Amino acid sequence: MSVPPTTPRPRLRDEVRHALFDQADRVTASAEARATTSDLSIDEELNLHSIGWEPVELVSGVSLHSIPFGYWNWGQGEIEGASMAHATAFVNATTHLLREAGAAGGHGVVGVRIDRAVHSTFVEVSLVGTAVRPVNRSRRLERGVFASDLSARDFTMLMVAGWEPLGLATGASFVFAPRRSMGAAIQQQSQNVELTNFTEAMYSAREAAMQRMQEMAIEMHGTGVVDVKVQEGPMSFASHAVGFVALGTVVRLAQAAHRLIDPTMVVALDDASVAFDARTLS
Amino acid sequence: MTSPTSDLPEATEHRLEELEKGLFTSDLSVNEFLLIKEVGFHPVGFVMGSSIYHTGLQTRKWSQSQELTKLTEAMYNARELAMTRMEEEANELGADGVVGVRLDVNYYEWGKDAAEFIAVGTAVKAEDGVSRRNQLGKPFTSDLSGQDFWTLRQTGYLPQGLVMGTCVYHIAHRGLGQTLGTTGQNVELPNFTQALYEARELAMTRMQDEAARLGASGIVGVRLEEKSHQWGSHTIEFLALGTAVTKTSENVTLPTPTTIISLDN
Repeated sequence: MSVPPTTPRPRLRDEVRHALFDQADRVTASAEARATTSDLSIDEELNLHSIGWEPVELVSGVSLHSIPFGYWNWGQGEIEGASMAHATAFVNATTHLLREAGAAGGHGVVGVRIDRAVHSTFVEVSLVGTAVRPVNRSRRLERGVFASDLSARDFTMLMVAGWEPLGLATGASFVFAPRRSMGAAIQQQSQNVELTNFTEAMYSAREAAMQRMQEMAIEMHGTGVVDVKVQEGPMSFASHAVGFVALGTVVRLAQAAHRLIDPTMVVALDDASVAFDARTLS
Repeated sequence: MTSPTSDLPEATEHRLEELEKGLFTSDLSVNEFLLIKEVGFHPVGFVMGSSIYHTGLQTRKWSQSQELTKLTEAMYNARELAMTRMEEEANELGADGVVGVRLDVNYYEWGKDAAEFIAVGTAVKAEDGVSRRNQLGKPFTSDLSGQDFWTLRQTGYLPQGLVMGTCVYHIAHRGLGQTLGTTGQNVELPNFTQALYEARELAMTRMQDEAARLGASGIVGVRLEEKSHQWGSHTIEFLALGTAVTKTSENVTLPTPTTIISLDN
């Protein structure tokens, strides 16, 4: 029995310092000869290569913006401070993301995962995505770096059809929902009625948010916003306030005309998933 | 394309004006977007309608199966309000139809009888300029996805409208005598069976009536949903939902499908 050779213990402090310096180097160094990091799957990477693009670096942008105390208290109309905070946090996070992507030599960021949370005192936006660029790097960047929450696969499809993403557009609006008077509530107890003041509050939040998203899209000279996701409802910490957030990727026709994709019809012969489970019978 | 009867809020009109200038918004995924383009449609805007509605009260008899007409009415009215508002937005945009319609009911903390009924979808317009509106001259609505819409068009069918039927039903409890009498036996519970049957039939019939009004030749993608919402276990809403379709052209361009076995798991 031989004693296993002892490996020297890693010196954590040095490791961390090394990693940090390495990181700084990577951002400042030119985009030559270094390993790429990406959270793309193999399929997605192949997809990207099929249109002559490649991943460069995993990039992120985070921003927290405060909402002063008391903004959610009782009031009327839109809670502008909160809407503003959301917009600012989003723009800042995007700026960080794009700056990081630009420094790494990317022309755009795809598959951006968006983590958003609105708390009573602050708004938190965190974006993580993969910076990508055309393989032929001599092609100069004619415009700014774009960010998109479309997956690499969707990005490929879009490019194949002659479209290009321009950036992320978002709009948020938070509005106070007026309460029904006690009298009205009692009177309506047994009736089927529409609660018009709630409907109106919801509508005004929605319209303002959608409007802001559209304005961002127009500013980017986009002709459309695809894959719009909306989130709505009362805030968890203030049920008398409703919020509406819309988010999507701005696109534009890059080629002279839309190219048809000519899909093929397929029938998968894989085993059907289990649709019936006897255990649900009780 | 402003209609004089429109009761949409001012902000909505403003937003829609911006959309008419050429920008489109859509909640379709990229694949759906490309498939819609493939069959000659272009998305014109993300449209929605909503209504926050208070449902009234109705007494139920413990041992009697019956339809709760007041609740049925409420579920109908509220959904109709949301759908109509969505259609109005589409109409304002000069759209031929709305695809990918989702109908949702959300309960919030404003009281257990108040719910938000919401309808959202993407308005589309034919690129060849020929109107594809339904018999009533309104934009068609459909809950089909972009993929389903593409396939449907290949077979020469065109959606006419999202049709629905609903029925809120109270199913009688069984008496103690009945329960004891059937303990230990294999036996059908006819009162439960009958109640469920009747409620389903009512919902389905109402849906078919709506389709008949649109002059449709069939309903595809029918879903039957059963929900108790907030009413306890013996009161159930049966909701039948589907897209009414008619055949508009005889030529079927659906290619023979290729069979594939995918090698991923």
